[in-house]
Amino acid sequence: MVKFTAEELRKIMDLKHNIRNMSVIAHVDHGKSTLTDSLVAAAGIIAQEVAGDVRMTDTRADEAERGITIKSTGISLYYEMSDEALKNYKGERQGNVYLINLIDSPGHVDFSSEVTAALRITDGALVVVDCVEGVCVQTETVLRQALGERIRPVLTVNKMDRCFLELQVDGEEAYQTFQRVIENANVIMATYEDPLLGDVQVYPEKGTVAFSAGLHGWAFTLTNFAKMYASKFGVDESKMMERLWGENFFDPATRRWTTKNTGSPTCKRGFVQFCYEPIKQIINTCMNDQKDKLWPMLQKLGVTMKSEERELMGKALMKRVMQTWLPASNALLEMMIFHLPSPSKAQRYRVENLYEGPLDDPYANAIRNCDPEGPLMLYVSKMIPASDKGRFFAFGRVFSGKVSTGLKVRIMGPNYVPGERKDLYVKNVQRTVIWMGKKQETVEDVPCGNTVAMVGLDQFITKNATLTNEKEVDAHPIRAMKFSVSPVVRVAVQCKVASDLPKLVEGLKRLAKSDPMVVCTIEESGEHIIAGAGELHLEICLKDLQEDFMGGAEISKSDPVVSFRETVLEKSCRVVMSKSPNKHNRLYMEARPMEDGLAEAIDDGRIGTRDDPKNRAKILSEEFGWDKDLAKKIWCFGPETTGPNMVVDMCKGVQYLNEIKDSVVAGFQWASREGALAEENMRGICFEIRDVVLHADAIHRGGGQVIPTARRVIYASQLTAKPRLLEPVYLVEIQAPEQALGGIYSVLNQKRGHVFEELQRPGTPLYNIKAYLPVIESFGFSSSLRAATSGQAFPQSVFDHWDMIPSDPLESGTQAAQHVAVIRKRKGLKEQITPLSDYEDKL
Amino acid sequence: MDFENYYEITRVAGFIHAHNFSRVALQFPDELLKDSRKVVSALRHLLQNSDESHGTAKLYVMADTTYGSCCVDEVGAAHVKADCVIHYGHTCLSPTTTIPAFCVFGKAPLKASNCAESLYNYTVKGGKPILVLFGLEYAHAMPDIKEALNVEAVRFHDSNSGFQIHFANVTNSVITPSTSMKLENRHLMLNGDQDNNEDSSQKTDTKFRLGGLGWSLPEGHRMEDYLLFWIGLDNSAFTNFILTFNSCEIVRYDAIEGCLKTDVSQQAKILKRRYYLVEKAKDANMVGILVGTLGVAGYLDMIHQMTELVTRAGKKAYTFLMGKPNPAKLANFPECDVFIYVSCAQTALLDSKEFLAPIITPFEALIAFNRGSQWTGAYSMEFQDVVASQPAEVEDEAESRFSFFQGGYVEDFKLQEGKEDKDAVLSLVNVTEKALLLQNKDSELLSRRDAKSGAEFFAARSYQGLEIHSSDSFPEPFLIGRTGKASGYEDEQSK
Repeated sequence: MVKFTAEELRKIMDLKHNIRNMSVIAHVDHGKSTLTDSLVAAAGIIAQEVAGDVRMTDTRADEAERGITIKSTGISLYYEMSDEALKNYKGERQGNVYLINLIDSPGHVDFSSEVTAALRITDGALVVVDCVEGVCVQTETVLRQALGERIRPVLTVNKMDRCFLELQVDGEEAYQTFQRVIENANVIMATYEDPLLGDVQVYPEKGTVAFSAGLHGWAFTLTNFAKMYASKFGVDESKMMERLWGENFFDPATRRWTTKNTGSPTCKRGFVQFCYEPIKQIINTCMNDQKDKLWPMLQKLGVTMKSEERELMGKALMKRVMQTWLPASNALLEMMIFHLPSPSKAQRYRVENLYEGPLDDPYANAIRNCDPEGPLMLYVSKMIPASDKGRFFAFGRVFSGKVSTGLKVRIMGPNYVPGERKDLYVKNVQRTVIWMGKKQETVEDVPCGNTVAMVGLDQFITKNATLTNEKEVDAHPIRAMKFSVSPVVRVAVQCKVASDLPKLVEGLKRLAKSDPMVVCTIEESGEHIIAGAGELHLEICLKDLQEDFMGGAEISKSDPVVSFRETVLEKSCRVVMSKSPNKHNRLYMEARPMEDGLAEAIDDGRIGTRDDPKNRAKILSEEFGWDKDLAKKIWCFGPETTGPNMVVDMCKGVQYLNEIKDSVVAGFQWASREGALAEENMRGICFEIRDVVLHADAIHRGGGQVIPTARRVIYASQLTAKPRLLEPVYLVEIQAPEQALGGIYSVLNQKRGHVFEELQRPGTPLYNIKAYLPVIESFGFSSSLRAATSGQAFPQSVFDHWDMIPSDPLESGTQAAQHVAVIRKRKGLKEQITPLSDYEDKL
Repeated sequence: MDFENYYEITRVAGFIHAHNFSRVALQFPDELLKDSRKVVSALRHLLQNSDESHGTAKLYVMADTTYGSCCVDEVGAAHVKADCVIHYGHTCLSPTTTIPAFCVFGKAPLKASNCAESLYNYTVKGGKPILVLFGLEYAHAMPDIKEALNVEAVRFHDSNSGFQIHFANVTNSVITPSTSMKLENRHLMLNGDQDNNEDSSQKTDTKFRLGGLGWSLPEGHRMEDYLLFWIGLDNSAFTNFILTFNSCEIVRYDAIEGCLKTDVSQQAKILKRRYYLVEKAKDANMVGILVGTLGVAGYLDMIHQMTELVTRAGKKAYTFLMGKPNPAKLANFPECDVFIYVSCAQTALLDSKEFLAPIITPFEALIAFNRGSQWTGAYSMEFQDVVASQPAEVEDEAESRFSFFQGGYVEDFKLQEGKEDKDAVLSLVNVTEKALLLQNKDSELLSRRDAKSGAEFFAARSYQGLEIHSSDSFPEPFLIGRTGKASGYEDEQSK
């Protein structure tokens, strides 16, 4: 049952002030998808009765089976507001019909790249928080990401039904819980104060917080109740709203409002008196089947039930009554329409975040004004597998102009540089589609401010791209997305039948496309590697690969592998020297560990190749205590010219030094990519060139002589500086009741993890535990945790930092040495680390 | 082993005598060079004795060959205007272009009975027909082994019908020059292409020829049906067989240790590593073609073919002639992302770990640079097969190329340029615009990936030539330089 046709929908798409693009974000299991479904139910795609039981947005079988969302799903909703409801709306609008493009995103941390992709193409976010569990680690992560993208949030305190049915808390206690949840969320939001975005904190009294029970399909904002009571008390709605939250108490006995509890037993907080208690009463009456009491109450509230609904009993009756009285869709959709920005409003301030080029060029202006007549600017944020095998829809958001069927577009890939032809294609859009959960509707064109799916571009876009009109050669791309998780867990895959290799290659290609985060590469040994954010992520990827992308061809996978990094503990014990193959040139070098935080600063891009050297010198001298002149002598970063290692020229008065710079850099890129211990990337090592002796004839100090020598001397200095391995470490957050704590601790101990924070959630029996856990130990962690706590603890792991393995990898038998041996074996290297004497030369 | 026997002095003398060669070059690999004087004097003695009437042939010793010592050094021989080359030691038996050559394989010791026993046991265990292949230095022992095998079979009262053992034969120890023209009808397809064979012989057997060995399989049999039994060292010849017949099971009998090596994991590893190199080559912008032979027939065609292939793939090709490649030599050309080594089959595989850029064979280059061709596992190293297997160009316009190194689609620069350059004026404008762009002086090196040609790479280098400081144009004062050896100058040794 679709309430609107594609043509109708297309018409609304032109009303850029009446569009809301929003994503639903939350911690895992806080009820996003369930809540989304009640919204979808209201928009009429599925029948009202099944909302809450069937998750419309989980379109994959495995999602339904596991009960978690894996891929984000986009749905367009249609909502018509009454004039009455809109009378307080101050912003621009075109009529009363609204189009809400909603994206439901996964809550599990392994799939948070999907959230990133969803946020990019939306302007607002509905943050769902479980009223009992409160703000969790993933809530925080996604909220931070949303604000980073300048997404305006509204909050809904979800699972209200738990308060009434499960916990049976009284009004005041419930209020305190809600208050705390909102406060916690506001604390996070306040740290991202942004002058352009304005105040992003949420306030129930302003209507930016909703209270919902996704499972039962009801929700309310204080606006609903304020409307109800405003006339009764004869005050205006906004005044009433303020009274319904915070330190406002009402004593029905005296019929007076106070700002303090007078102590009288009838004096109750406004929220409790007017919102919480009436709901509680209705729910209790329904649950106890006191129908004789119920009908008059409902009549007073102006709720009419259909006759067949009157026959329902207990929970079903309660659900139906509540849905009729406080439909979730009305409360939530109205909140979004009122408080989330329209594309034209949001793009005004988002353009700075989005556009890479100058902010006064025609493209920036078109985005800023959300101009449907302007040049096309479209960002493809993800690829969605289409029903015909192997093809994908390119899914994205039109920021300006219109995209239409048959349009010739310029595709600018992530590596596109304006003015060059790298990563640039000109192709036709075969079809434009609006994507609505299980249904796709083809439309002629889609104007700016909307999300769109396109057919026919999938063979030129890997994960994301910026599209513009064919002739717009001056357009810069839209900034690439930054993910909050990194692919640290890897498996090697192999086909069982050698002749399936082409299938595997094709499958990996598709897999890389289907997921914004997964990385498919190939190792030196010729093995194909899939890298993902965590165990669950990889499991899903492998399943997709085998079943969907390879047509069921058998593959075998290795155990999960973790990549390590190589670093040094101290400054080299002496200046080491290597001679070139012809013995005419000598390089003297030392290695030392970088200052704390410097490697991270390079990772974050605060210090990098592209910076202004003056700026770089300033950061280095102020934050890391470098000598200002020295900061100017950084030759390069590596590996890949941007990595967290560097070469610094510390020599004085060496002739021809400039001449070998390129060769040393080349040798360094090579060596820092493949360290001396196990050919893993280096991290946090600063190489200082102490002295250089070069042959007087240029022919004898060419690249051939210097590049291998630079590599050797870098290895030698690494080996003399107490080399160490770094392993990736997860930050694990576990929420569990007290009785499960013992099990959690014992599993963590067993897995070399350590707890650094343990907090009881106020007002709940739940504990929040934060711990560090080496990634290599994390395989099977979830399941052993479940076993040890009889399923009460559920961990969320996200890569946090690199941690040094304290033992010496050069000393046989140590843990680090074992790791090195395993890696070397896997890579097919010689078992023994090449000795220092092979790299260092003597005079 | 007997010196005379080892160097086959009599046979060589007979060969020279029979063909009436007057100038003969003797090519020795480094490890046999110490015997060269004895060989020459023995040979000269023999030639003088046997032939009084004709003027005796002049003998020249050639050593330190420019390329692999397994190939006949034709250029070296041409310097002395030799009529023929006598090649000693390990050889790949690659066909020559101009000069006939006679190969002396040498005779490595082998315990025939032991080897036969291993072979017999393996046969009984394997349950499949067996094909015996061997290093050429063991060719002399083959009759002994066959005999010993019969003894073995009799000892176990086994009728010979129970198992099949095929022996490969040495095709010919005399290499007669063949031009590339003759190649096509002379040489056989590795994969047993029946059509080609039928006109030359009516036999229905499938003939194979690889690394100087030749054998034929009965009709209907494929190589995969056989177990391969290699007698010899774990050297490049063996690797050649492993790679070419990578779908067969191969065991190796090590003649020095006198035991069977069944560990074949190495085989899979080499092949996978080559696969990685092919994938890597696909990402290259600049390709160096290394000329690794001036003798193997068809090398010029191969170089041309490679140049064309690379250019057609939208990449830049440079040809290098540098003798035996080593890391230091190749690192002088850091702009090349990959090198194609055109050489005889047995020197073609260079383990590239120490090299800055990977080195691949022409066959691998075909896979890497031909759009639409896929790595199927079939592998070949001989020129003839590569020339023959040149597939029709598949113009795969539908999808851009996926790179496993960058984890996404990449398009090769030139391919696109070709299309867009139709608009000549526009392209001129583009080029001008690029040239006039203000370059950031402090910007670091372009990464190696970005440069499309040697000139671009050079332009991106931080050092581009002499830096003349115009402020002090006065000549520098005269200085006395250092003396001594580079490994330690005289003024340093005192320290």
